[in-house]
Amino acid sequence: MKEWIHLRIRRQDGPETPPYWQTFRLPYAPDQNVVSVLMCLRENPMTTDGRQVEPVAWDHNCMEEVCGSCAMSINGVPRPSCSALIDDLEQPIVLEPLPKFPVVRDLLVDRARMDAGLRRVKAWIEIDGIWDIHEGAPRISPAEWSASYLYSRCMSCGCCMAACPQFGPQSDFIGPAPLAQVRLMNAHPTGRYDKTERLHRIMASGGLSDCGNAQNCVRVCPKEIPLTTAIGELGRQTTLQSLKDLFGQG
Amino acid sequence: MNASLDHIHFLLRRLHSLFGLIPIGAFLTFHLWENSQSRFGADHYNLEVVSALQEMNYLPFIELFVIALPLLLHAAYGLAISGQMRAELSRYPYARNRFYWLQRISGIGILAFLLFHVGTTRIQGLWQPAVRDDLYGHMQTLLTDPLVFGLYTLGLLLSVFHLVNGLSTMAIVWGLTTSAQAQRLFGYLCIGLGLLLGAIGIHGLLGFLP
Repeated sequence: MKEWIHLRIRRQDGPETPPYWQTFRLPYAPDQNVVSVLMCLRENPMTTDGRQVEPVAWDHNCMEEVCGSCAMSINGVPRPSCSALIDDLEQPIVLEPLPKFPVVRDLLVDRARMDAGLRRVKAWIEIDGIWDIHEGAPRISPAEWSASYLYSRCMSCGCCMAACPQFGPQSDFIGPAPLAQVRLMNAHPTGRYDKTERLHRIMASGGLSDCGNAQNCVRVCPKEIPLTTAIGELGRQTTLQSLKDLFGQG
Repeated sequence: MNASLDHIHFLLRRLHSLFGLIPIGAFLTFHLWENSQSRFGADHYNLEVVSALQEMNYLPFIELFVIALPLLLHAAYGLAISGQMRAELSRYPYARNRFYWLQRISGIGILAFLLFHVGTTRIQGLWQPAVRDDLYGHMQTLLTDPLVFGLYTLGLLLSVFHLVNGLSTMAIVWGLTTSAQAQRLFGYLCIGLGLLLGAIGIHGLLGFLP
């Protein structure tokens, strides 16, 4: 029976200040996850060598792996901390901010780039226009629905982008998550109206063709979204789109 | 205005991808097959294989515009985009991630090998007719040196890897394979093709040895 939970946390006081490491030790309790342990730590933030320090800042919300806000690097792998169970993790548990995203403080990162990517690819469906475009309920076959449902589970946690070797400050690649939303929105009966525009947006610099097919994204995605299938399907859609652009509509 | 003509980025990427297969990949396949005939000896190789190619009409145009220029464009653009890579191999030790890394590293290795390879064969042959007349003898002298033989083997294997891995990712890029299963199966097909091309290439290299 374990007595302690050992944590090693990479801390940073502000966006511009250098990071540093601190270790913590908390009494073991069964069925904890990383978020609940961080909550316990917040009550008495004392390092292993007995120093009282500022509580660790991190982001969390739903506690059921649907909001995506608590993603961080846990033992080197990006994943949501609410679904990272202490009993499954090797100790000391090494917590770092989600890689590739700018640190705000401690384990709190700025995921504005995720939002910018979703905005850029028009990851929504226009339901209002100057005329009514909603003629009855859009029909989707059960097969199409179940394929698209996989992509609708994306919670914008950013793990796929953190694991992507092409994504980061060195490039303007939008990353796998916004691309998967193009796959989802382009399949929707109403979303299809903007398919061409979405495809043109991902055909520009930083879009689909900046993917290097390392396929780490699909390995780390906590929602098991078939990101590489989305990328292949968008490859086909952009191939056809470029033929239409070059030779005219078919 | 034509939207995808605006997207020069997209067209460049797809052209870079296409050039890897046609003409460069096709040429590599032909080149390995052609040189696998080294096993039939100096006379057959020099008189049947090499001279038939050297006597082809429009050969300089083919060499320049079908081989050299696409290769240079593919290499230059590949080098330009390889700086985007931030591979973390120990953190993500998956095969596709390693292949992704090796694809870029092998590209640089192949470029260095080709400078040596083309420099000591085709370019050297420009001012040394003896190299052209007895290419078999020239290759034999080169490859008898274990260092050169090692370099050629490495260059060959890197090139074959770069071609077949490029082919497997090209299928995803162009949208031929979309499902994970299709990508996996096509990957195995590419591995098979790579083993075949590697065997043909090594067979050819061995054929030059005395």
